[in-house]
Amino acid sequence: MAFLEVHNLTKDFGGLRANNDISFSMARGELVSLIGPNGAGKTTLFNCISGLHPVTSGRVIFNGEEITKLNAHQVARRGLARTFQVYAAAGDLNVIENVMVGCFMKTHLRSRARARATEILKDLNIDHLADYLVSELPVAAQKLVTMATAIGSDPRLLMLDEVAAGLNPNEIEGILASIRHVHDDLGITVMLIEHVMELVMKISHRVIVLDYGEKIAEGDPETIAKDPGVIKAYLGERYVREHGGQQAVGSRE
Amino acid sequence: MEALRNALDFSDFPRLDLIVAGCVAIVFIVFPLFPHSSFAMATMIQFLMFSLYGMGWNTIGGYGGQVDLGKAQYVGIGAYTTAVMLIRWDIPFWVSMPIGMFFAVIWSFIIGYPLFRLKGHYFAIATIATSLVLKDIFEVWDFVGAARGLEISPIKYHPPDFLRLIFREDVYYFYVILGFFFLGILYMNWFRKSRLGFQLRSIKDNEDVARSLGINVHWAKVKTYAIATAFVSMVGSFHACYIKSIEPEDTMSLDISILIALMAMLGGAGSLWGPVIGAGILIPIKSYLKEWLGAQAGLVGIDLIIYALIIMAISAFEPRGVWGIVEKIRRRRRD
Repeated sequence: MAFLEVHNLTKDFGGLRANNDISFSMARGELVSLIGPNGAGKTTLFNCISGLHPVTSGRVIFNGEEITKLNAHQVARRGLARTFQVYAAAGDLNVIENVMVGCFMKTHLRSRARARATEILKDLNIDHLADYLVSELPVAAQKLVTMATAIGSDPRLLMLDEVAAGLNPNEIEGILASIRHVHDDLGITVMLIEHVMELVMKISHRVIVLDYGEKIAEGDPETIAKDPGVIKAYLGERYVREHGGQQAVGSRE
Repeated sequence: MEALRNALDFSDFPRLDLIVAGCVAIVFIVFPLFPHSSFAMATMIQFLMFSLYGMGWNTIGGYGGQVDLGKAQYVGIGAYTTAVMLIRWDIPFWVSMPIGMFFAVIWSFIIGYPLFRLKGHYFAIATIATSLVLKDIFEVWDFVGAARGLEISPIKYHPPDFLRLIFREDVYYFYVILGFFFLGILYMNWFRKSRLGFQLRSIKDNEDVARSLGINVHWAKVKTYAIATAFVSMVGSFHACYIKSIEPEDTMSLDISILIALMAMLGGAGSLWGPVIGAGILIPIKSYLKEWLGAQAGLVGIDLIIYALIIMAISAFEPRGVWGIVEKIRRRRRD
């Protein structure tokens, strides 16, 4: 049985169709990436799955239970956590307190939340930042904090929205290791939205491609990188004509 | 057990803060033993009352970031419950106070549940509106004395009456409200470390993030609003026994609501000491301006001008108030 199933999901914003009839499924323990050009509807899809946006039509089934109509906090309590692309930390909470908010989903006791948060920070090697405000940190560390906060809620499926955006190659290596650690060692099923192709190609078991709100391809990273439709979506029609679709999208190595 | 430990544990504050807080506490306790004017005593009592109002406001307004400008309606509910029960049925303060809190909490659910669908300015305006509506109702409601208000006449009782909280000397009132004040501080110290406290701070930061961490944002706000309300109503009950004459115009006016919010913001919204600092600055100014300048020089309304200037100064320079400045300096020192 699939762990996460999305059936014919459509989302309209007024007259704009942001997601059109998208279906896919994920198995427990998979690591799936969702890619696509800007405005393809990736974040909207995340928002629909995690309950922040009501869907226009379609169904979402998580762990055998229909969650289509649930509110975001109810979805979260069922073990589906997510991070946000732009994490607007107003600066009231410091790093460990942020992570504690996540941990408070599973416990009422401050001592327990604090102990768990400390553990997670250590695990992600950011325990030395515990007392800083999130807004004081460099972007790479902020992204790790958002991951740590989501992990605090002890999820079964973690959806990461562009955790590598705006990072330099070194930092990308770091976040790659962290994602692998979360997936391999903590046993959390992971879904990524990502623009950084090196990361997507290295880490994903499977890639789903969106363009103009529709799913245009799905498969293992090598197949996707050679898919003419995907290359067209990213680089335009002319590029495909001139290069015959032979160039792989992510081959920057 | 852990809740009690958290309430009594102030160890996350720097030692300097604890020394200052300890000294201030001692000054409060011994203050009545030294010679003082009745004006100073009245100002002290006002200060303690408004600190408590501010603490209540601070739960939802400070930690939760929901600017509430309608706290006066709960002052009114508390004050009227206690006054009506005492005058009509001779029910003592210690019984009517929790009943008033109960009424206030019910009312807070009735208006909080729909109101928290609103955000930002709309919420603030709606709280003003409900407060004014309640005031208007009280002004025409004969059972509670309508616009004339209610008068508790101390002659009927035998002060000092600790059950009904009827005293002739202000010093008794001072110690009662000081007791509430210390309990309020302990409660707030627990609150800021509680699960709900953390959830609110997360909501203030970013509601979508809070939601996706399993927080029922709407319910958390409604709950906290009820807590804030209970605080304010409790002090409102005290207000009735202390002032002994209540009417809608001065217990439930918009001025009170604004003053409560302003104090907490001036001192530092979302911090434990903020409301106390804010009340410590504003109440003496208010008393002085009202009693001296207002009455003697005929400058009625000058206190409102001062409030307006303070609002502008906070929003321009340091939205997190005096405590925000202290924290900023500390952060700079650390780095």
